Amino acid sequence: MIKQKKIITLFLLIILPFLFFLGTLCIGRYYVSIHDVFLVLWEGITGTTSDFSSETTAVVLQIRLPRAFLGALVGAALGASGAAFQGLFRNPLVSGGILGVSSGAGFGAALAIVFFNNIFLTPIFAFFFGILAVILSYFAGRIDNTSPTITLVLGGVIIQSIFSALLSLLKYVADTATQLPAITFWLMGSLASTKTSDIFLSSIPMFLGITGLLAMRYRLNVLSMGDREAKTLGINVNLNKLCIISFATLATAGAVCVSGVVGWIGLIIPHIGRMFVGNDNKWLIPASMSLGACFVILCDTICRSLTGGEIPLGIITALIGGPFFIYLLKKTKGRNWS
Amino acid sequence: MTLLSLKNVSFAYLKNKYIFKNICFDIQPGEIFCIMGPNGCGKSTLIDNIIGINKPLSGTITLGDQSIFDLKPKDFAQHIAYVPQSHTKTFPYTVLDVVIMGRTFTTSFFSSPNNHQRSRAIESLYQVGLKGFENRLYTELSGGELQLVLIARALTQDAEIMVLDEPTAHLDFSHELMVMEIITWLVKEKNISVIMATHFLNQAYYLENAKVKTRVALMNQGEINLIGSPSEILTEKHLKDVFHIITTLGTTSNSGEIQKYIIPLKKDV
Repeated sequence: MIKQKKIITLFLLIILPFLFFLGTLCIGRYYVSIHDVFLVLWEGITGTTSDFSSETTAVVLQIRLPRAFLGALVGAALGASGAAFQGLFRNPLVSGGILGVSSGAGFGAALAIVFFNNIFLTPIFAFFFGILAVILSYFAGRIDNTSPTITLVLGGVIIQSIFSALLSLLKYVADTATQLPAITFWLMGSLASTKTSDIFLSSIPMFLGITGLLAMRYRLNVLSMGDREAKTLGINVNLNKLCIISFATLATAGAVCVSGVVGWIGLIIPHIGRMFVGNDNKWLIPASMSLGACFVILCDTICRSLTGGEIPLGIITALIGGPFFIYLLKKTKGRNWS
Repeated sequence: MTLLSLKNVSFAYLKNKYIFKNICFDIQPGEIFCIMGPNGCGKSTLIDNIIGINKPLSGTITLGDQSIFDLKPKDFAQHIAYVPQSHTKTFPYTVLDVVIMGRTFTTSFFSSPNNHQRSRAIESLYQVGLKGFENRLYTELSGGELQLVLIARALTQDAEIMVLDEPTAHLDFSHELMVMEIITWLVKEKNISVIMATHFLNQAYYLENAKVKTRVALMNQGEINLIGSPSEILTEKHLKDVFHIITTLGTTSNSGEIQKYIIPLKKDV
């Protein structure tokens, strides 16, 4: 990219998530002006006594702030791991779920709902079954101590279908009055039901995964040249693949275990990122994080303010993401895919 | 002095179905070693062994006194650079992004090439004649230009050996000449040893005509029995034995110097 354009893009990518973050603190069925948001935040930080009604303080600090934080983190995690997997699998149509982390997490969550009926266990089960699914896919796709891209993807597809079959089985035996709706709603994805403690716990794997992907992002360029070329360019292909898969899985599992299965973000966000910064992963990974964070905050704001109730996040991401993606595709004439 | 040495290298994907057997040769500094032979004789598989993708069933491939399979990828890339026969373009990187990957071995696990590496990559681009191509998308290049980009990437590795697998397949005459000129330059000026698999026999004569230290290994049914200069090996008799064709050797001095060439006439039945 040209230097001037680079600086402007960098500036935008840093500033945008903050604007969305502040925006979502203001907007909702209970409107708080930006001025008041700043004051409440300031009071929250300094701990001074409030001139505001306790409602305003509660809405901003206890309801919207954790959700905005979680939304930003989930978006960044899903965006970055989607971009990483697209590079790693040399396929612009995959997302973070290609190795089965979402299917595994869905099964884990359903398991917790059906057998333990415990909202504390749901994210924990989701997280560990998500990781388990990826480990199974990895070993299913391993041949002669190497992990060729194509067999990894195949392994992922197989494990995904096994876990969705198991999920169907759980749905089948679930209590139709209480458990089945709970599973269904969980699968649609939402940031509504998360507790602050969950946010804190899930932010650890997301943070680790995102940091790892950021640090290794240049390697993705080389890996996307294919195993044979990456090896002769001086990369330990198997080790690098394993690390990237681990980081992306940590990030995705951390995200889906609290937000449910939110589709689309890992697929669409990297493509929007490419339109801004091109294909170099040194730029694409941070851009996907920034745009992912903006997108999830935006969608979540719509989810909670459009109607009297909560609309599941997965519905809004697809309804907004889909048409927007088509618009971008037409506008750029698909030049970034060729 | 020997840079790379193959001793009794044999390889098979399936047990007892050998692709090639008992291959022996040494690579000297500043020479070009052409592996020639009919389609399907095992050239590309042999190249895969040399670049460490496939491990031979028996025999050794050594760089200096170390087996290439004991080298870390990082160290391997410092000594041996590779230009693939075909490259699958997945993402439209800029040309510079691709060429700079030649410096990957200098980066640690969590870093990327710096500005110094960047100027090294730009220098390579200039050297292969692609000045001003830095910010073009490499997916939008012609086949010949892409080949030059991949050679520039290998050149950026500053390795003493460069392995090229069918570097001029799918190229027209003009691009073929362009690539051959670059290869000649690599050997003559940069003192790089080139190992090249090709089935274009005239390329060996081209290199000999250009006064490059050239050796040809004629591969047939998984064996190499003939190694020597192009004039010694690519004779009408040997080509009849290996390719089963009737050929004729000619010379021309149209370009000012005497140049040898070979023309296939008909199949030998």
